[in-house]
Amino acid sequence: MNLTEDQIFALAPDESSKKSGRELANPSKWVSKAINEKALWGECQGSGSKPYQTQIDIIDIAFKCSCPSRKFPCKHGLGLLLLYARQKNDFKISPAPAWVEDWISKRGGKQESKTEKAEKPVDEAAQAKRQQARQKKVNDGIEELLRWIKDIIRNGIISIPEKENAWFENMARRMVDAQAPGLAGMVRNLGAVNFFSEGWQTSFMDRLLRLFMILQGYKNSDDLNESLLADIRAAIGFTQNQEELKEHKGVNDTWLVLGKQITEEDNLTTERNWLFGTNTRQYALVLQFLIRGQGAQYALTPGQVMEAELVFFPSAIPLRAIIKSQMNASIPLSVTGFGNWQEVGAFETELTSKLPFRNERPYIIEQLTPVWHNQQWWLQDNQSAIMPVKAGFVNIWTVLSLSGGAPLHMAVIGKEKEYEPVGVWYNNEYKII
Amino acid sequence: MQFWNQIIHTALLGTDKKQLVPAELGPVLSAIAEEVAPQPASKEEQFLQIASLAFNYRLAGVTVLQKKEFTISTAVVEEKEYCSAAATRVLKDILLEESLPLLKFWLQACQYKKRLVTPDLLPVILKTGAAQKALQQVIIDCGGKRAEWLSQFNTDWKFSSGISREELWQTGTPEQRRVILQQLRKEDPAMALEWIQQTWPQEDANTKADFIKILLISLSENDITFLERLSNEKSKKVKDEALALLKKIPTSSIVQQYWNIIKQSLLVKKEKALLGMVNKTVLQVGHPSSIDETIFKTGIEKLSNNKEFTDEDYIAYQLMQNIPLSFYEAQWQLKPEEIIDLFQKNSASKRFLPALVLSIVHFSDERWAIFFMQYCTTFYTDIIPLLPVKQQEYYSNKFFTDQPENIIHHATQREHEWGPELAASILRHAAKSPYQYNRSFFNQHIHLIPFAIAAELERFTPTDDGFRVMWSNTSGYILKLLSLKIQTLKAFNE
Repeated sequence: MNLTEDQIFALAPDESSKKSGRELANPSKWVSKAINEKALWGECQGSGSKPYQTQIDIIDIAFKCSCPSRKFPCKHGLGLLLLYARQKNDFKISPAPAWVEDWISKRGGKQESKTEKAEKPVDEAAQAKRQQARQKKVNDGIEELLRWIKDIIRNGIISIPEKENAWFENMARRMVDAQAPGLAGMVRNLGAVNFFSEGWQTSFMDRLLRLFMILQGYKNSDDLNESLLADIRAAIGFTQNQEELKEHKGVNDTWLVLGKQITEEDNLTTERNWLFGTNTRQYALVLQFLIRGQGAQYALTPGQVMEAELVFFPSAIPLRAIIKSQMNASIPLSVTGFGNWQEVGAFETELTSKLPFRNERPYIIEQLTPVWHNQQWWLQDNQSAIMPVKAGFVNIWTVLSLSGGAPLHMAVIGKEKEYEPVGVWYNNEYKII
Repeated sequence: MQFWNQIIHTALLGTDKKQLVPAELGPVLSAIAEEVAPQPASKEEQFLQIASLAFNYRLAGVTVLQKKEFTISTAVVEEKEYCSAAATRVLKDILLEESLPLLKFWLQACQYKKRLVTPDLLPVILKTGAAQKALQQVIIDCGGKRAEWLSQFNTDWKFSSGISREELWQTGTPEQRRVILQQLRKEDPAMALEWIQQTWPQEDANTKADFIKILLISLSENDITFLERLSNEKSKKVKDEALALLKKIPTSSIVQQYWNIIKQSLLVKKEKALLGMVNKTVLQVGHPSSIDETIFKTGIEKLSNNKEFTDEDYIAYQLMQNIPLSFYEAQWQLKPEEIIDLFQKNSASKRFLPALVLSIVHFSDERWAIFFMQYCTTFYTDIIPLLPVKQQEYYSNKFFTDQPENIIHHATQREHEWGPELAASILRHAAKSPYQYNRSFFNQHIHLIPFAIAAELERFTPTDDGFRVMWSNTSGYILKLLSLKIQTLKAFNE
């Protein structure tokens, strides 16, 4: 396990956890601490009479602590991991005590019990009936949404900025009722356009047309291939049974976590982890949905390198994936990315031809230099081609400072004509931006 | 992208008002659009289908701009080494803690060791420097060539641009010019005065007033001519600031005018005592026969606001505040201890002792501060900052029990760490007033607290149950900050 301090801090749920974790990265706070090939553990003297027992699964990074904190990972987990990153030699290698062994073996057991659960017989008739009912609801919802979109186009989008949020929310709720949560999210996304910004019209139309293509695609399902249909169904909100998905053979690789984007809505936190397979040069998106107070299934942090088998969701351009198994974390490797923007453009064109309504995705591009022109920042490749940096990207100064005017290998996320750096290779180390 | 503009134009107006004509979409798209056109059931659907097609055409046809002329300069190779990984780690922790004193402490250690901040942390340090002028010089030293290079892209970071002082003085922002003038005034007071005079006619009243305030640094009689000339300025603010400085220069005409008045009122007489067996020297504070009315335009009040002083005494009291004590030495040919003794010998003159203290503070008279502490029977805390560090420590400890708040106030103004005894007294007192001396207080003054006190924090736990818990939290916080301080020292001494 070779997590840097920045990577460990990136696991923290909030700023105060970072601070508290840092304080606990102090040998004097730990009554005992040790490591073996599977786990890292320690006992931290807290305010109670008994020390808290903190344990970390270092293969498939996960935390457990006996403290009452609802945060995940808690400050003790972060502190222990930080202490290990700082003073590896202070951790003696020893057999795990019972409380660690129990947890590690239970984690293994959980996977098995999930499989057993899946093997229970399913009432196929009832399931078919449920599916039919849903299908009907979705079909009705789609017809309603199409009418709504056509009304917008008939009347013109010029009056859209005057619409209140409730106007979009109302239609989004209708889509929830129609059991099409994906469409509901896309309708809300329409209302989330910044109508005060220049070019809102294109932004709005892009979203509206993407929605229209999905609806039309679904209506013409019979003519579509299986993988494209899977994309459309996923966009509408049909879920894929992840246990079933895990039955498929995945892609084994040494995966580098390029970046993590976190969004929060109500009580739901969505984690978008962007991965890159260093051997297959395949990109992946691992989503995690966290309800407040609950721990994440995987503790992924930018810059982390892991040997893992990823199973991709069926798609015309597979990107979203789940982690089927995670093996030993390994040392970071050198990576090979795209040589220039033209290569990225050609790849984007190929992707668009396969999936017309796709979203942004990551790219590793070699030798990019930030340049300032026409009141905005651009990323220039070694062929002097330039691409705009996403407007409002606040960390451009860090990129610029690391670059010092020299080209850097960069990981960016974006599409079409806007990209945002998420990490750079500086002195052979992947630095999170 | 003419075709896309057509799409947006039609979308804005709505298909009820405008129809999309395939021919407007350009040769490639129009041919395909013609094929789509007859199929859909409605004009809205027709528009949406053609627009979807155009959307994909746009996405698939992104061409990148080739701009060889867009270049960026490359940062010059650093002459100094970057700080160690351990030092960088401590800096990150300090930034997380948002403690400016610790940041200053770290930067000073980095500056002393001639090391540099690593590029990944430079933006956050430069951003801090833009807001904290006092840190700018140390940031320039620790930012190296990379900070200098970065400053060309961000006007807020111009302070680290490496351009000459003279150029920045001519072209910089008011704040940058103030900072430069302050630095120059410390290093070369005459040059600073010359710079001010060169641009004086072009400055506005507020800038002039600000620059005069800066002349307080290394103020000397060389500044008199310039300052006295300012009595002709239009702005009252400028005139007041100039007068305030002139009052601090013993050889200025205003101080001389005050002295000429007051020396008539102070009479040192030799008297017989003990039935004529002993001679004693006494001080009589009388009233001058005539007072030049112009002094009342220089900030001297005519009427007393203190019932212990008559109006005449009060005028004398104010004048004495503005007279350097060395004048009495020369006038009466007495040693400082004799002069102090004269004043404190009888109740009539003793009332004027505070005026002497105010004079010492007014002229920052370090020599007389020492004499006063040594020979005066009354302790005046205001003198403490003028004493040498050792004496500050000694008197702070000696009088802490009598005037804890005043001593703490002066102790927090110091630049050097408190001694162990003073630190213990302050922390013991602070533990009993947790609302006044909270985390923010210790964050601001952590640079003054010696690390040796860490082991003793528990000893200061107050007896009051409520305060005990608060002290436990506060002392934990102090420990955390002290630990960062010691880690900084270790990191730079490894």
